[in-house]
Amino acid sequence: MSADSNPAHLPHPEQERLAQHYTALPDVYDELKTPGGGLRPHWQQLFQHLDALGPSGLERRWEKARHLLHENGVSYNVYGDPQGMERPWNLSPVPVLLSADEWQRVELGLKQRARLLDAVLKDIYGPQRVLLEGLLPPELVFGNPYFLRACHGMPVPRERWLPLYCADLVRLPDGNFAVLEDRTQAPSGAGYALENRIVISSVLPEAFRECGIERLSLFFRALRDTLHALAPHNRDNPRIVLLTSGPYNATYFEQAYLAQYLSYTLVNGADLTVRDDHVYLKTLGGLQPVDVILRRVNDDYSDPLELRPESVLGTPGLVQAARCGNVAIANPLGTGLLQTPTILPFVARLCQTLLGEELLLPSVRSWWCGEPNALHEASDAFADVVVRRAFAEGFAKPVLTSQLTSNARQELLSAIEARPADYVIQEHVRASTTPTLMQHTLTPRAMVMRCFAVSGRDDYVVMPGALSRTADAGEGTEASMQLGAGSKDTWVLSRGSVTSFSLLPPLDRAVPLSRGGSDLPSRATDNLYWLGRYAERAEGVARLARVVCSRLNDLINQNELSSNGELAALLRALAAQTSLSYTDNLPSALPLDFAGAQAQLMAAITDESGAGTLKSAVRSALRAGRLVRDRISTDTWRVLAALDDELHVPAAALQKEPLGTLLDVLNRVVLRLAAFSGLAMDSMTRGHAWRFLDMGRRLERAMTLVMLLRSSLTHSCEREAPLLEAVLEVADSSMTYRRRYLATLQVPPVVDLLLTDETNPRSVIYQMDALTRHLEALPPAPDGLRTPQERIALGVLTDLKLCDVERLCSGGPVGERQRLSQQLVELATRIPALSDSLSDRYLNHATLSRHLGWGPGAEELRPGESSGDEP
Amino acid sequence: MKLQVMHRTTYVYGEAVTNSHHEARLSPRDGEYQRALAHELVISPDPRSRRRRFDYFGNRALHFSLSEPHRELDILARSVVEVSPGRAPRLSATPAWEYVRDHLRLTRTRDSLDAFAMCMPSPLIGLLPQLAQYAAGSFSPGRPILEAVRELVARVHADFTYDPRATTVSTPLDELLTHRRGVCQDFAHLVIGCLRTHGLAGRYVSGYLLTHPPPGRPKLVGADASHAWLSTFVPDHGWVDFDPTNDLIPADEHITVAYGRDFSDVTPIRGVILGGGQHQLRVAVDVQQLG
Repeated sequence: MSADSNPAHLPHPEQERLAQHYTALPDVYDELKTPGGGLRPHWQQLFQHLDALGPSGLERRWEKARHLLHENGVSYNVYGDPQGMERPWNLSPVPVLLSADEWQRVELGLKQRARLLDAVLKDIYGPQRVLLEGLLPPELVFGNPYFLRACHGMPVPRERWLPLYCADLVRLPDGNFAVLEDRTQAPSGAGYALENRIVISSVLPEAFRECGIERLSLFFRALRDTLHALAPHNRDNPRIVLLTSGPYNATYFEQAYLAQYLSYTLVNGADLTVRDDHVYLKTLGGLQPVDVILRRVNDDYSDPLELRPESVLGTPGLVQAARCGNVAIANPLGTGLLQTPTILPFVARLCQTLLGEELLLPSVRSWWCGEPNALHEASDAFADVVVRRAFAEGFAKPVLTSQLTSNARQELLSAIEARPADYVIQEHVRASTTPTLMQHTLTPRAMVMRCFAVSGRDDYVVMPGALSRTADAGEGTEASMQLGAGSKDTWVLSRGSVTSFSLLPPLDRAVPLSRGGSDLPSRATDNLYWLGRYAERAEGVARLARVVCSRLNDLINQNELSSNGELAALLRALAAQTSLSYTDNLPSALPLDFAGAQAQLMAAITDESGAGTLKSAVRSALRAGRLVRDRISTDTWRVLAALDDELHVPAAALQKEPLGTLLDVLNRVVLRLAAFSGLAMDSMTRGHAWRFLDMGRRLERAMTLVMLLRSSLTHSCEREAPLLEAVLEVADSSMTYRRRYLATLQVPPVVDLLLTDETNPRSVIYQMDALTRHLEALPPAPDGLRTPQERIALGVLTDLKLCDVERLCSGGPVGERQRLSQQLVELATRIPALSDSLSDRYLNHATLSRHLGWGPGAEELRPGESSGDEP
Repeated sequence: MKLQVMHRTTYVYGEAVTNSHHEARLSPRDGEYQRALAHELVISPDPRSRRRRFDYFGNRALHFSLSEPHRELDILARSVVEVSPGRAPRLSATPAWEYVRDHLRLTRTRDSLDAFAMCMPSPLIGLLPQLAQYAAGSFSPGRPILEAVRELVARVHADFTYDPRATTVSTPLDELLTHRRGVCQDFAHLVIGCLRTHGLAGRYVSGYLLTHPPPGRPKLVGADASHAWLSTFVPDHGWVDFDPTNDLIPADEHITVAYGRDFSDVTPIRGVILGGGQHQLRVAVDVQQLG
């Protein structure tokens, strides 16, 4: 009997209990064990399941989960990380458990805090009672760079100033929770919590089922309902978009993931445009009105006209559109104001006065040093506190004074004394610990729990669960994803039965039929087109390299390769393909040696600098794919991600048997690429997204083929049969050829099959035909005439149809096939021209906007200057 | 005094601008000593969308956008304003500057709060120690606030040279302090920074100034310019203006268009354009006394 099938509740006889050697740290609260060393009751059932699996069973399951995470491409971007931009998501297999009673206290506290902060925002962007009545020092508003004066007095849809709220919680040694940080502007993490849940519930399905865990989906339904209800117009069917801060943002994966999960269009600032104070999405089909924006761009970056002029992430005119009440933004612009640590010390007082209630969920003890006496009070404990910048949100790392030398600590204290208003001092709390699996044993790790709430119809709805993060070492509570710590799913035990619910619409509500696709942003179109091109480029070079590789392998014992005309032509083609340019003076008649040929092959596969090498084509495809994560299926993405992995060729194997190893790699790459095109063909609806992906592939395939024919067949040589065979193999057309012509290899039939045969899906004419049909299906030119793109494509298509292949291939037995050469040169100009024209018309919307007035590069006459013209 | 202002701004673009958004602050404010009698803003091409509002500071702002391709944008602001001289305070009768500083920090009335907000750093005015150092000479203990500010303004006028080529919109204050050359905007920012580093309120004022031709020469049309100065807050007295460029306390020849924390709050015209290529900018201002 395997460990996996061992019934639950029975510890594996020959294995130890997992929790047996787990020892909680002194002086902190441990989530799993009581100070007496016993398991807390709400963890017992989970541990029965874990024990039944045993460490090795758990490890096996975990291996599977890691694979899933990797393939799904769950990642977190780390700014300035030398190891590259994307960091894999570090999820721990053992979740954090909270009992129903514990959770109820947290939930009530979060709801109250969210209501309170909503009221504070409404007041600060309105009458400012909290300042006039002395509840909040005015410096915290007027000296706060996140107080956006442009947003003061702005109407906010449904008076919801804080539709989304998120807080980082720690559990103190006394077992109570406290807030380390409030997040009010563009809370992130809910998507990661969801992904964690999906993975962990598949790693521990029995435990998940039997423990009775609250589902997360209710929260996401509330989120969707709330955003829907905020729409100022089109109340029945509002268009909601997720405004991303782009692929360089730390949480881009999550943004794309959420957009897909909630079925919102993922857009960036440049995809939106403001006309007549309304917001529109720029799509292929024209401008589509936008009613609600779920914002993941910081508020001060959202509009370069009225807010930060240097922002390239925003949409000019957005503030004015919001001011006119034509678009709902969640969270509203300006809410970043409360996301600074300065607010923490004042929350209790605000709660008493604004809500008339005692604060249920306190802040971690904090002092804003600008308050008289605050520094005095805090400096007594200065040897072990956390120092934070008052208004530096995000990446300014908090300083732990206990980790400083006494000199550095004194310097810091002097800096604070010089400008006290710039600092917040926080108690260095000992956060609770939770068991984390480290090398098969459970080890206590400090944790921070990020909780989420969304403003529902009557009150806030709290996600029953959280994104918990653990510190790397046993100490330190300033765990942050940015600092590269681990993450955990968080299970809230249900009191009664669990409501299962899926985000798919209920069966009793009629869903309006839709065959949309009209919400495709122009930018996504651009990326899909390039994804198609790069994937096809990768396939072209992989196929060619594979043929070169196998020919070289056959010639392994020959040093002198010059006499081999076939190989010379293939290497010429490979050189042209990897540099993406055809030149005549490629090594055609040079003495060829084996080592040189092998080096060229190697570079064509693994070099990242050449534009057309396999590695750079795959990398570029991945990059383009990442930008349209929300448009391609998870399976398709997995294939892409796996492609990159294939190219990490182990050096040892390469050393030992270079050609055999490369051949294996190329075979796998070709297969993966075939899977990619198959998935794209089979799983994408025939909308504009698919059309542009396919147009990219067709165009690239036609160009690659023309390049191949130019490098191989425009010069005739004496024994052409082996070369023709190789060309057919590269173009994946050997079978068809053999079926038609048996073993007779001649130039005209080969050229016919690859250039002008309309039935061969690998021929140039086939690509042009497909392109023509795609172009006809795109939005027509305003005058109803054929677009320039259609004209180019049709012209090429007609020429190929009328082409006399026999005549084209005629020419002396040795020397240049001039007519063929001319025809190919012409194709090599007209097909790229089609691509350029296509980009100009549909894709190149990224014209940079510029500033007049104030800001970087702005030109403006200043007061005191005049050009002295007549007014 | 009744004054007429014409302020014309023309952008000529090298390539067509396909879409643009603008925000203009070109309409004079109404205030205790100033009344706008007439005002019009003529924009060509005529924008389809045009919205007026009062901004956070109560300035008149116009938001407009153009979504038809255009190669030239012309904005003409014409205003007639009645200006009366303020009650010039007796400088030596004003409270000690430390009293004003503490009053601002501790008083929670609307006026004092708004003034306290002008003690904070702002996008173009950081609270540099060099500013505090430069100003310190004028702020001796117990000195009446306006006496101190008057002297500071006179020192800036004496120490700094008016030179449009020395600075740009984005020249930082520490550079200005080193080179000691700049334009009215720089001098206003400088004095404001000095006040704020002493815990006093400094407000940036943008507007126009009636200029007088040299004796015996005719007044040239269009040779004027927009102007900038500052005010500071004195409890029970309100805001008092100072013009460091001309070393004076404005009376009835200064027209206030807008005020804010610094130039970035009151930029006369700001905009974001799509396309446009290289562009040329022409600005002409003319201030005339009426009747």
